[in-house]
Amino acid sequence: MATINVHAETGQDNIAPSMQPLPPPKSVDSQSVLRRLQSELMALMMSGDSGISAFPEEDNILCWKGTITGSKDTVFEGTEYKLSLIFPNEYPFKAPKVKFDTTCFHPNVDMHGNICLDILQDKWSSAYDVRTILLSIQSLLGEPNISSPLNQQAAQLWSNQEEYRKMVEKLYKFPAA
Amino acid sequence: MVSDSIAAVPIPSAANTKNPGKKKRTNRSAKLKQYKIDARREQWLSQGAVKNKGCKDGMDDDVHVREKHGKQELEKLETRRRGEEIDVLIHQDSDSESPSNSPVSPNSSVLCGNDSGTNFTGSSRGGSSSSSSSSGGCCSGNITEEEDEEVEEEDDGCLDDWEAVADALAADEKHQNSPHDEPVVERDSSQSCEVTNGSGLGYPNSKPGSGGMVPWGSANGRAWRADDAFRPQTLPNLSKQHSMPNPDRYFGGGGPWCRTSVPSNCPICCEDLDLTDTSFLPCNCGFRLCLFCHKRILEQDARCPGCRKQYECEPIETEASVHGGSLTLRLARSVSMIERS
Repeated sequence: MATINVHAETGQDNIAPSMQPLPPPKSVDSQSVLRRLQSELMALMMSGDSGISAFPEEDNILCWKGTITGSKDTVFEGTEYKLSLIFPNEYPFKAPKVKFDTTCFHPNVDMHGNICLDILQDKWSSAYDVRTILLSIQSLLGEPNISSPLNQQAAQLWSNQEEYRKMVEKLYKFPAA
Repeated sequence: MVSDSIAAVPIPSAANTKNPGKKKRTNRSAKLKQYKIDARREQWLSQGAVKNKGCKDGMDDDVHVREKHGKQELEKLETRRRGEEIDVLIHQDSDSESPSNSPVSPNSSVLCGNDSGTNFTGSSRGGSSSSSSSSGGCCSGNITEEEDEEVEEEDDGCLDDWEAVADALAADEKHQNSPHDEPVVERDSSQSCEVTNGSGLGYPNSKPGSGGMVPWGSANGRAWRADDAFRPQTLPNLSKQHSMPNPDRYFGGGGPWCRTSVPSNCPICCEDLDLTDTSFLPCNCGFRLCLFCHKRILEQDARCPGCRKQYECEPIETEASVHGGSLTLRLARSVSMIERS
Protein backbone atom coordinates (compact mmCIF):
# COMPACT_ATOMS: atom_id res chain seq x y z
CA MET A 1 0.00 0.00 0.00
CA ALA A 2 2.78 2.33 0.87
CA THR A 3 4.32 2.05 -2.54
CA ILE A 4 1.00 2.53 -4.15
CA ASN A 5 0.46 5.67 -2.17
CA VAL A 6 3.84 6.95 -3.15
CA HIS A 7 3.08 6.24 -6.73
CA ALA A 8 -0.18 7.98 -6.49
CA GLU A 9 1.44 10.98 -4.94
CA THR A 10 4.21 11.21 -7.45
CA GLY A 11 1.67 10.73 -10.10
CA GLN A 12 -0.21 13.71 -8.82
CA ASP A 13 2.97 15.67 -8.58
CA ASN A 14 3.65 14.91 -12.15
CA ILE A 15 0.22 15.92 -13.15
CA ALA A 16 0.20 19.13 -11.21
CA PRO A 17 2.91 20.94 -13.15
CA SER A 18 1.59 19.73 -16.44
CA MET A 19 -1.78 21.06 -15.46
CA GLN A 20 -0.32 24.47 -14.82
CA PRO A 21 -0.40 25.67 -18.41
CA LEU A 22 -4.00 24.63 -18.76
CA PRO A 23 -5.79 27.31 -16.73
CA PRO A 24 -5.38 30.04 -19.34
CA PRO A 25 -7.24 28.08 -22.00
CA LYS A 26 -9.85 27.25 -19.44
CA SER A 27 -10.33 30.83 -18.54
CA VAL A 28 -10.58 31.52 -22.23
CA ASP A 29 -13.26 28.92 -22.42
CA SER A 30 -15.20 30.29 -19.54
CA GLN A 31 -14.94 33.71 -21.05
CA SER A 32 -16.43 32.54 -24.28
CA VAL A 33 -19.04 30.46 -22.51
CA LEU A 34 -19.97 33.49 -20.52
CA ARG A 35 -20.31 35.59 -23.56
CA ARG A 36 -22.33 33.05 -25.38
CA LEU A 37 -24.69 32.47 -22.46
CA GLN A 38 -25.18 36.15 -21.92
CA SER A 39 -26.02 36.48 -25.56
CA GLU A 40 -28.44 33.60 -25.32
CA LEU A 41 -30.11 35.06 -22.31
CA MET A 42 -30.57 38.30 -24.13
CA ALA A 43 -31.98 36.55 -27.17
CA LEU A 44 -34.29 34.44 -25.05
CA MET A 45 -35.67 37.41 -23.21
CA MET A 46 -36.13 39.37 -26.40
CA SER A 47 -37.73 36.55 -28.29
CA GLY A 48 -40.86 36.50 -26.16
CA ASP A 49 -41.57 32.87 -26.81
CA SER A 50 -44.63 31.86 -24.90
CA GLY A 51 -44.38 28.76 -22.81
CA ILE A 52 -40.66 28.74 -22.27
CA SER A 53 -38.40 30.76 -20.11
CA ALA A 54 -35.03 30.39 -18.52
CA PHE A 55 -32.72 32.39 -16.34
CA PRO A 56 -29.35 31.80 -14.79
CA GLU A 57 -29.12 31.10 -11.12
CA GLU A 58 -27.97 33.96 -9.00
CA ASP A 59 -24.37 33.01 -8.54
CA ASN A 60 -23.57 30.83 -11.49
CA ILE A 61 -24.28 31.61 -15.07
CA LEU A 62 -23.46 28.01 -15.95
CA CYS A 63 -26.57 26.85 -14.07
CA TRP A 64 -29.89 27.93 -15.40
CA LYS A 65 -33.43 27.26 -14.33
CA GLY A 66 -35.90 26.91 -17.11
CA THR A 67 -39.63 26.65 -17.31
CA ILE A 68 -41.78 24.93 -19.88
CA THR A 69 -45.53 25.00 -20.03
CA GLY A 70 -47.41 22.21 -21.69
CA SER A 71 -48.65 23.07 -25.14
CA LYS A 72 -52.30 23.52 -25.88
CA ASP A 73 -54.20 20.48 -27.10
CA THR A 74 -51.80 18.11 -25.46
CA VAL A 75 -52.25 16.11 -22.30
CA PHE A 76 -49.76 18.46 -20.70
CA GLU A 77 -51.85 21.58 -21.31
CA GLY A 78 -51.97 23.79 -18.28
CA THR A 79 -49.00 22.22 -16.58
CA GLU A 80 -45.71 23.90 -15.94
CA TYR A 81 -42.38 22.19 -15.53
CA LYS A 82 -39.20 23.45 -14.08
CA LEU A 83 -35.94 22.28 -15.51
CA SER A 84 -32.33 22.77 -14.66
CA LEU A 85 -29.72 23.33 -17.30
CA ILE A 86 -26.07 22.82 -16.44
CA PHE A 87 -23.66 24.12 -19.03
CA PRO A 88 -20.22 22.58 -19.34
CA ASN A 89 -17.17 24.74 -19.79
CA GLU A 90 -16.98 23.49 -23.33
CA TYR A 91 -20.42 24.81 -24.14
CA PRO A 92 -21.62 25.21 -26.84
CA PHE A 93 -19.33 22.54 -28.21
CA LYS A 94 -20.73 20.16 -25.65
CA ALA A 95 -24.39 19.86 -24.81
CA PRO A 96 -25.73 21.13 -21.52
CA LYS A 97 -27.16 18.67 -19.01
CA VAL A 98 -30.87 19.24 -18.89
CA LYS A 99 -33.17 17.70 -16.29
CA PHE A 100 -36.71 18.08 -15.17
CA ASP A 101 -36.84 19.40 -11.63
CA THR A 102 -40.60 18.95 -11.61
CA THR A 103 -41.83 15.39 -11.86
CA CYS A 104 -42.92 14.79 -15.39
CA PHE A 105 -44.88 11.75 -16.40
CA HIS A 106 -43.60 11.27 -19.89
CA PRO A 107 -42.34 8.32 -21.91
CA ASN A 108 -38.94 9.94 -22.48
CA VAL A 109 -38.41 11.30 -18.99
CA ASP A 110 -37.39 9.01 -16.16
CA MET A 111 -38.31 9.29 -12.52
CA HIS A 112 -35.25 11.40 -11.79
CA GLY A 113 -36.11 13.90 -14.44
CA ASN A 114 -33.51 12.75 -16.95
CA ILE A 115 -34.55 13.41 -20.48
CA CYS A 116 -33.94 11.13 -23.43
CA LEU A 117 -33.63 13.53 -26.30
CA ASP A 118 -31.21 13.03 -29.14
CA ILE A 119 -30.23 16.66 -29.47
CA LEU A 120 -29.08 16.64 -25.87
CA GLN A 121 -26.84 13.69 -26.62
CA ASP A 122 -25.37 12.48 -29.87
CA LYS A 123 -27.31 14.88 -32.05
CA TRP A 124 -26.15 17.92 -30.19
CA SER A 125 -24.96 20.76 -32.32
CA SER A 126 -23.24 23.88 -31.18
CA ALA A 127 -25.82 25.77 -33.16
CA TYR A 128 -28.47 24.85 -30.60
CA ASP A 129 -29.11 27.13 -27.72
CA VAL A 130 -31.25 27.33 -24.63
CA ARG A 131 -34.21 28.51 -26.58
CA THR A 132 -34.11 25.69 -29.10
CA ILE A 133 -33.51 23.18 -26.32
CA LEU A 134 -36.54 24.32 -24.40
CA LEU A 135 -38.68 24.45 -27.51
CA SER A 136 -37.54 20.96 -28.41
CA ILE A 137 -38.43 19.66 -24.98
CA GLN A 138 -41.73 21.42 -25.14
CA SER A 139 -42.56 19.71 -28.39
CA LEU A 140 -41.23 16.44 -27.05
CA LEU A 141 -43.90 16.63 -24.38
CA GLY A 142 -46.64 16.43 -26.95
CA GLU A 143 -44.82 14.09 -29.30
CA PRO A 144 -42.97 11.48 -27.32
CA ASN A 145 -40.77 8.88 -28.88
CA ILE A 146 -42.56 5.74 -27.77
CA SER A 147 -40.07 3.38 -29.31
CA SER A 148 -37.31 4.01 -26.81
CA PRO A 149 -39.00 5.00 -23.58
CA LEU A 150 -37.36 5.76 -20.29
CA ASN A 151 -40.73 5.48 -18.60
CA GLN A 152 -42.35 2.25 -19.74
CA GLN A 153 -45.60 2.93 -17.95
CA ALA A 154 -46.01 6.28 -19.60
CA ALA A 155 -45.15 4.82 -22.99
CA GLN A 156 -47.81 2.15 -22.61
CA LEU A 157 -50.39 4.59 -21.41
CA TRP A 158 -49.72 7.10 -24.16
CA SER A 159 -52.16 5.46 -26.54
CA ASN A 160 -54.95 6.24 -24.13
CA GLN A 161 -54.83 10.00 -23.95
CA GLU A 162 -57.70 10.37 -21.53
CA GLU A 163 -56.14 8.06 -18.99
CA TYR A 164 -52.83 9.66 -19.62
CA ARG A 165 -54.21 13.10 -18.91
CA LYS A 166 -55.59 11.83 -15.61
CA MET A 167 -52.24 10.40 -14.73
CA VAL A 168 -50.52 13.65 -15.56
CA GLU A 169 -52.91 15.58 -13.37
CA LYS A 170 -52.54 13.07 -10.57
CA LEU A 171 -48.77 13.17 -10.56
CA TYR A 172 -48.43 16.83 -11.29
CA LYS A 173 -47.43 19.18 -8.55
CA PHE A 174 -47.34 22.80 -9.37
CA PRO A 175 -43.70 23.67 -9.05
CA ALA A 176 -42.78 25.75 -6.08
CA ALA A 177 -41.59 29.13 -7.14
CA MET B 1 -9.20 35.99 -23.38
CA VAL B 2 -10.20 39.55 -23.17
CA SER B 3 -8.51 39.57 -19.93
CA ASP B 4 -5.75 37.68 -21.55
CA SER B 5 -5.05 40.04 -24.36
CA ILE B 6 -5.73 43.12 -22.38
CA ALA B 7 -3.64 41.95 -19.55
CA ALA B 8 -0.87 40.95 -21.85
CA VAL B 9 -0.76 44.10 -23.85
CA PRO B 10 -1.39 47.05 -21.68
CA ILE B 11 0.66 46.04 -18.69
CA PRO B 12 3.90 46.99 -20.30
CA SER B 13 2.24 50.02 -21.75
CA ALA B 14 0.89 50.98 -18.38
CA ALA B 15 4.34 50.82 -16.97
CA ASN B 16 5.47 52.76 -19.94
CA THR B 17 2.98 55.53 -19.69
CA LYS B 18 3.86 56.10 -16.12
CA ASN B 19 7.38 57.18 -16.79
CA PRO B 20 7.52 58.36 -20.34
CA GLY B 21 9.52 61.35 -19.24
CA LYS B 22 12.38 59.29 -17.96
CA LYS B 23 12.40 57.12 -20.96
CA LYS B 24 12.45 59.94 -23.36
CA ARG B 25 15.58 61.36 -21.94
CA THR B 26 17.53 58.19 -22.00
CA ASN B 27 19.88 57.25 -24.68
CA ARG B 28 17.70 54.39 -25.57
CA SER B 29 14.79 56.51 -26.51
CA ALA B 30 16.98 58.51 -28.79
CA LYS B 31 17.90 55.33 -30.50
CA LEU B 32 14.33 54.29 -30.58
CA LYS B 33 13.53 57.46 -32.32
CA GLN B 34 16.24 56.89 -34.79
CA TYR B 35 15.02 53.39 -35.22
CA LYS B 36 11.52 54.59 -35.67
CA ILE B 37 12.59 56.96 -38.32
CA ASP B 38 14.42 54.20 -40.07
CA ALA B 39 11.48 51.90 -39.87
CA ARG B 40 9.18 54.45 -41.23
CA ARG B 41 11.52 55.31 -43.99
CA GLU B 42 11.86 51.69 -44.81
CA GLN B 43 8.11 51.28 -44.97
CA TRP B 44 7.86 54.34 -47.03
CA LEU B 45 10.43 53.25 -49.48
CA SER B 46 9.12 49.75 -49.68
CA GLN B 47 5.80 51.19 -50.63
CA GLY B 48 7.31 52.54 -53.78
CA ALA B 49 9.43 49.49 -54.32
CA VAL B 50 6.71 46.96 -53.69
CA LYS B 51 4.73 48.17 -56.58
CA ASN B 52 7.51 47.40 -58.97
CA LYS B 53 9.89 45.00 -57.39
CA GLY B 54 8.57 43.57 -54.20
CA CYS B 55 9.58 44.15 -50.66
CA LYS B 56 13.07 42.75 -50.78
CA ASP B 57 14.15 45.40 -53.19
CA GLY B 58 12.61 47.91 -50.95
CA MET B 59 14.77 46.71 -48.14
CA ASP B 60 17.96 46.83 -50.04
CA ASP B 61 17.03 50.16 -51.32
CA ASP B 62 16.69 51.29 -47.82
CA VAL B 63 20.04 49.96 -46.86
CA HIS B 64 21.54 52.28 -49.30
CA VAL B 65 19.41 55.15 -48.34
CA ARG B 66 20.36 54.80 -44.74
CA GLU B 67 24.00 55.03 -45.53
CA LYS B 68 23.48 57.98 -47.72
CA HIS B 69 20.96 59.53 -45.59
CA GLY B 70 22.82 60.94 -42.66
CA LYS B 71 20.73 62.95 -40.26
CA GLN B 72 18.79 65.27 -42.45
CA GLU B 73 15.15 64.51 -42.43
CA LEU B 74 14.35 66.65 -45.39
CA GLU B 75 16.45 64.55 -47.61
CA LYS B 76 13.92 61.81 -47.20
CA LEU B 77 11.66 63.04 -49.90
CA GLU B 78 14.46 63.36 -52.33
CA THR B 79 15.87 60.01 -51.51
CA ARG B 80 12.64 58.33 -52.01
CA ARG B 81 12.35 59.65 -55.48
CA ARG B 82 15.84 58.63 -56.24
CA GLY B 83 15.30 55.32 -54.60
CA GLU B 84 13.92 53.44 -57.51
CA GLU B 85 16.54 54.50 -59.96
CA ILE B 86 19.36 53.54 -57.72
CA ASP B 87 17.60 50.50 -56.59
CA VAL B 88 19.06 47.97 -58.97
CA LEU B 89 22.62 48.94 -58.27
CA ILE B 90 22.09 48.99 -54.61
CA HIS B 91 20.52 45.63 -54.70
CA GLN B 92 23.61 44.10 -56.19
CA ASP B 93 25.86 45.99 -53.88
CA SER B 94 24.25 45.02 -50.71
CA ASP B 95 23.89 41.45 -51.77
CA SER B 96 27.54 41.08 -52.54
CA GLU B 97 29.09 43.24 -49.93
CA SER B 98 27.10 42.34 -46.90
CA PRO B 99 26.90 38.62 -46.40
CA SER B 100 25.68 39.30 -42.91
CA ASN B 101 22.55 40.51 -44.53
CA SER B 102 21.82 37.40 -46.42
CA PRO B 103 21.17 34.96 -43.63
CA VAL B 104 18.52 37.21 -42.32
CA SER B 105 16.85 38.43 -45.41
CA PRO B 106 15.69 35.02 -46.49
CA ASN B 107 13.99 34.97 -43.18
CA SER B 108 12.25 38.19 -43.75
CA SER B 109 11.33 37.27 -47.23
CA VAL B 110 9.86 34.10 -45.89
CA LEU B 111 7.74 36.16 -43.64
CA CYS B 112 6.68 38.21 -46.55
CA GLY B 113 5.92 35.11 -48.47
CA ASN B 114 3.73 33.73 -45.78
CA ASP B 115 1.60 36.71 -45.53
CA SER B 116 2.03 37.59 -49.08
CA GLY B 117 -1.27 39.23 -49.84
CA THR B 118 -1.78 40.76 -46.48
CA ASN B 119 1.71 41.82 -45.95
CA PHE B 120 2.05 43.64 -49.17
CA THR B 121 -1.08 45.51 -48.66
CA GLY B 122 -0.12 46.02 -45.12
CA SER B 123 3.21 47.45 -45.89
CA SER B 124 1.97 49.67 -48.59
CA ARG B 125 -0.84 50.92 -46.51
CA GLY B 126 1.32 51.25 -43.51
CA GLY B 127 3.71 53.05 -45.71
CA SER B 128 1.14 55.45 -46.88
CA SER B 129 -0.03 56.30 -43.42
CA SER B 130 3.42 56.66 -42.03
CA SER B 131 4.63 58.57 -45.01
CA SER B 132 1.96 61.11 -44.46
CA SER B 133 2.95 61.55 -40.88
CA SER B 134 6.62 61.79 -41.58
CA SER B 135 6.22 64.13 -44.46
CA GLY B 136 4.13 66.22 -42.17
CA GLY B 137 7.07 66.24 -39.85
CA CYS B 138 9.33 67.40 -42.63
CA CYS B 139 7.12 70.23 -43.59
CA SER B 140 6.52 71.58 -40.17
CA GLY B 141 10.08 71.08 -39.18
CA ASN B 142 8.83 70.14 -35.77
CA ILE B 143 10.10 66.64 -35.96
CA THR B 144 11.14 65.97 -32.45
CA GLU B 145 7.79 66.40 -30.85
CA GLU B 146 6.10 64.24 -33.35
CA GLU B 147 8.71 61.67 -32.90
CA ASP B 148 8.17 61.69 -29.20
CA GLU B 149 4.53 61.05 -29.64
CA GLU B 150 5.19 58.40 -32.14
CA VAL B 151 7.64 56.65 -29.93
CA GLU B 152 5.32 56.77 -27.03
CA GLU B 153 2.44 55.47 -28.96
CA GLU B 154 4.25 52.73 -30.66
CA ASP B 155 6.04 51.69 -27.56
CA ASP B 156 2.79 50.57 -26.15
CA GLY B 157 2.34 47.83 -28.61
CA CYS B 158 5.79 46.42 -28.83
CA LEU B 159 7.85 47.54 -25.96
CA ASP B 160 9.65 44.27 -25.77
CA ASP B 161 10.62 44.41 -29.39
CA TRP B 162 11.77 47.91 -29.02
CA GLU B 163 14.02 47.15 -26.17
CA ALA B 164 15.54 44.23 -27.92
CA VAL B 165 15.96 46.21 -31.05
CA ALA B 166 17.41 49.15 -29.21
CA ASP B 167 19.99 46.94 -27.62
CA ALA B 168 20.82 45.43 -30.94
CA LEU B 169 21.13 48.83 -32.44
CA ALA B 170 23.36 50.09 -29.70
CA ALA B 171 25.66 47.17 -30.27
CA ASP B 172 25.51 47.35 -33.99
CA GLU B 173 25.94 50.97 -34.60
CA LYS B 174 29.40 50.89 -33.22
CA HIS B 175 30.71 48.41 -35.71
CA GLN B 176 28.68 48.43 -38.83
CA ASN B 177 26.17 50.89 -39.70
CA SER B 178 23.22 49.81 -41.64
CA PRO B 179 23.23 46.31 -43.02
CA HIS B 180 22.51 44.78 -39.69
CA ASP B 181 19.62 46.71 -38.49
CA GLU B 182 17.97 46.61 -41.82
CA PRO B 183 16.85 43.07 -41.35
CA VAL B 184 15.81 44.03 -37.89
CA VAL B 185 13.63 46.71 -39.25
CA GLU B 186 12.08 44.40 -41.69
CA ARG B 187 11.53 41.84 -39.06
CA ASP B 188 9.87 44.33 -36.87
CA SER B 189 7.44 45.51 -39.43
CA SER B 190 6.34 42.02 -40.09
CA GLN B 191 6.25 41.34 -36.42
CA SER B 192 4.06 44.21 -35.66
CA CYS B 193 1.84 42.87 -38.34
CA GLU B 194 1.79 39.56 -36.66
CA VAL B 195 1.34 40.98 -33.27
CA THR B 196 -1.73 42.73 -34.39
CA ASN B 197 -2.98 39.61 -35.97
CA GLY B 198 -2.15 37.93 -32.77
CA SER B 199 -4.53 40.03 -30.88
CA GLY B 200 -6.93 39.28 -33.62
CA LEU B 201 -6.31 35.71 -33.00
CA GLY B 202 -7.11 36.26 -29.45
CA TYR B 203 -10.22 37.74 -30.71
CA PRO B 204 -12.60 34.86 -31.00
CA ASN B 205 -11.18 33.50 -27.91
CA SER B 206 -10.57 36.83 -26.50
CA LYS B 207 -14.04 38.07 -27.04
CA PRO B 208 -13.01 41.51 -26.13
CA GLY B 209 -15.52 42.71 -23.68
CA SER B 210 -15.56 45.89 -25.58
CA GLY B 211 -17.23 43.88 -28.25
CA GLY B 212 -18.09 44.81 -31.73
CA MET B 213 -17.45 48.48 -31.69
CA VAL B 214 -13.75 48.03 -31.36
CA PRO B 215 -11.75 46.49 -34.13
CA TRP B 216 -9.55 44.32 -32.11
CA GLY B 217 -6.66 44.83 -34.42
CA SER B 218 -6.04 48.00 -32.56
CA ALA B 219 -5.27 46.26 -29.32
CA ASN B 220 -1.61 46.21 -30.05
CA GLY B 221 -1.69 49.09 -32.40
CA ARG B 222 -1.85 52.57 -31.15
CA ALA B 223 -4.96 53.52 -29.38
CA TRP B 224 -5.24 51.06 -26.56
CA ARG B 225 -3.45 51.44 -23.34
CA ALA B 226 -4.17 50.02 -19.98
CA ASP B 227 -6.27 52.92 -18.96
CA ASP B 228 -8.22 53.17 -22.15
CA ALA B 229 -8.79 49.58 -22.97
CA PHE B 230 -12.51 50.16 -23.01
CA ARG B 231 -12.28 53.66 -24.21
CA PRO B 232 -13.52 53.13 -27.73
CA GLN B 233 -17.00 52.55 -26.44
CA THR B 234 -17.20 55.74 -24.53
CA LEU B 235 -15.07 57.82 -26.81
CA PRO B 236 -16.01 56.83 -30.29
CA ASN B 237 -13.93 59.58 -31.82
CA LEU B 238 -10.75 58.09 -30.58
CA SER B 239 -11.65 54.66 -31.74
CA LYS B 240 -12.42 55.92 -35.16
CA GLN B 241 -9.25 57.84 -35.50
CA HIS B 242 -6.89 55.27 -34.20
CA SER B 243 -8.37 51.91 -34.69
CA MET B 244 -10.25 52.12 -37.90
CA PRO B 245 -7.19 52.37 -40.11
CA ASN B 246 -5.73 49.27 -38.61
CA PRO B 247 -8.20 46.72 -39.92
CA ASP B 248 -7.70 48.16 -43.34
CA ARG B 249 -4.06 47.80 -42.92
CA TYR B 250 -3.99 44.28 -41.78
CA PHE B 251 -6.87 42.75 -43.55
CA GLY B 252 -5.92 43.92 -46.92
CA GLY B 253 -9.54 44.31 -47.85
CA GLY B 254 -9.42 47.92 -46.94
CA GLY B 255 -12.12 50.20 -48.22
CA PRO B 256 -15.52 48.83 -47.47
CA TRP B 257 -14.57 47.46 -44.11
CA CYS B 258 -16.86 48.98 -41.60
CA ARG B 259 -19.25 47.88 -38.95
CA THR B 260 -22.34 48.11 -41.03
CA SER B 261 -21.00 45.79 -43.68
CA VAL B 262 -20.39 43.00 -41.20
CA PRO B 263 -23.59 41.05 -41.23
CA SER B 264 -23.72 39.27 -37.92
CA ASN B 265 -22.07 37.43 -35.13
CA CYS B 266 -20.72 33.96 -35.09
CA PRO B 267 -23.66 31.83 -33.99
CA ILE B 268 -21.37 29.67 -31.92
CA CYS B 269 -19.26 32.07 -29.92
CA CYS B 270 -21.32 35.21 -30.51
CA GLU B 271 -18.27 37.15 -31.52
CA ASP B 272 -18.52 39.49 -34.45
CA LEU B 273 -17.59 37.97 -37.73
CA ASP B 274 -14.72 39.82 -39.26
CA LEU B 275 -14.03 40.20 -42.93
CA THR B 276 -12.30 36.87 -43.14
CA ASP B 277 -15.06 35.10 -41.32
CA THR B 278 -17.79 36.53 -43.45
CA SER B 279 -16.07 35.31 -46.57
CA PHE B 280 -15.54 31.92 -45.02
CA LEU B 281 -18.10 29.33 -46.01
CA PRO B 282 -16.96 25.95 -44.75
CA CYS B 283 -20.07 23.95 -45.53
CA ASN B 284 -22.39 23.64 -48.47
CA CYS B 285 -25.38 24.10 -46.21
CA GLY B 286 -24.37 27.71 -45.86
CA PHE B 287 -23.89 27.66 -42.13
CA ARG B 288 -21.36 30.32 -41.30
CA LEU B 289 -19.21 30.50 -38.27
CA CYS B 290 -16.00 32.13 -37.31
CA LEU B 291 -12.69 30.52 -38.11
CA PHE B 292 -11.93 29.80 -34.51
CA CYS B 293 -15.10 27.93 -33.81
CA HIS B 294 -14.64 26.12 -37.07
CA LYS B 295 -11.17 25.09 -36.07
CA ARG B 296 -12.39 23.94 -32.72
CA ILE B 297 -15.11 21.85 -34.29
CA LEU B 298 -12.62 20.34 -36.67
CA GLU B 299 -10.62 19.27 -33.67
CA GLN B 300 -13.65 17.52 -32.27
CA ASP B 301 -16.32 15.82 -34.33
CA ALA B 302 -15.72 17.97 -37.40
CA ARG B 303 -19.41 18.15 -38.16
CA CYS B 304 -21.09 21.28 -39.37
CA PRO B 305 -23.29 22.69 -36.61
CA GLY B 306 -25.86 23.68 -39.16
CA CYS B 307 -26.46 20.38 -40.89
CA ARG B 308 -24.45 17.89 -38.78
CA LYS B 309 -22.66 16.66 -41.86
CA GLN B 310 -18.96 16.08 -41.66
CA TYR B 311 -16.98 18.95 -42.95
CA GLU B 312 -15.71 17.73 -46.25
CA CYS B 313 -12.10 18.67 -46.01
CA GLU B 314 -9.34 17.82 -43.68
CA PRO B 315 -8.36 20.78 -41.56
CA ILE B 316 -5.28 21.52 -43.58
CA GLU B 317 -7.01 21.14 -46.86
CA THR B 318 -9.69 23.42 -45.61
CA GLU B 319 -7.13 26.05 -44.99
CA ALA B 320 -5.64 25.55 -48.37
CA SER B 321 -8.98 25.60 -50.05
CA VAL B 322 -9.80 28.95 -48.65
CA HIS B 323 -8.90 31.38 -51.29
CA GLY B 324 -7.27 34.73 -51.38
CA GLY B 325 -7.01 36.84 -48.29
CA SER B 326 -8.61 34.21 -46.10
CA LEU B 327 -5.76 31.85 -46.61
CA THR B 328 -3.07 34.32 -45.77
CA LEU B 329 -4.92 35.52 -42.76
CA ARG B 330 -5.31 32.07 -41.41
CA LEU B 331 -1.66 31.43 -41.74
CA ALA B 332 -0.78 34.67 -40.13
CA ARG B 333 -3.05 33.89 -37.24
CA SER B 334 -1.73 30.48 -36.63
CA VAL B 335 1.76 31.85 -36.66
CA SER B 336 0.93 34.43 -34.12
CA MET B 337 -0.90 31.89 -32.03
CA ILE B 338 2.30 30.01 -31.66
CA GLU B 339 4.07 33.14 -30.75
CA ARG B 340 1.60 34.16 -28.18
CA SER B 341 1.39 30.92 -26.32
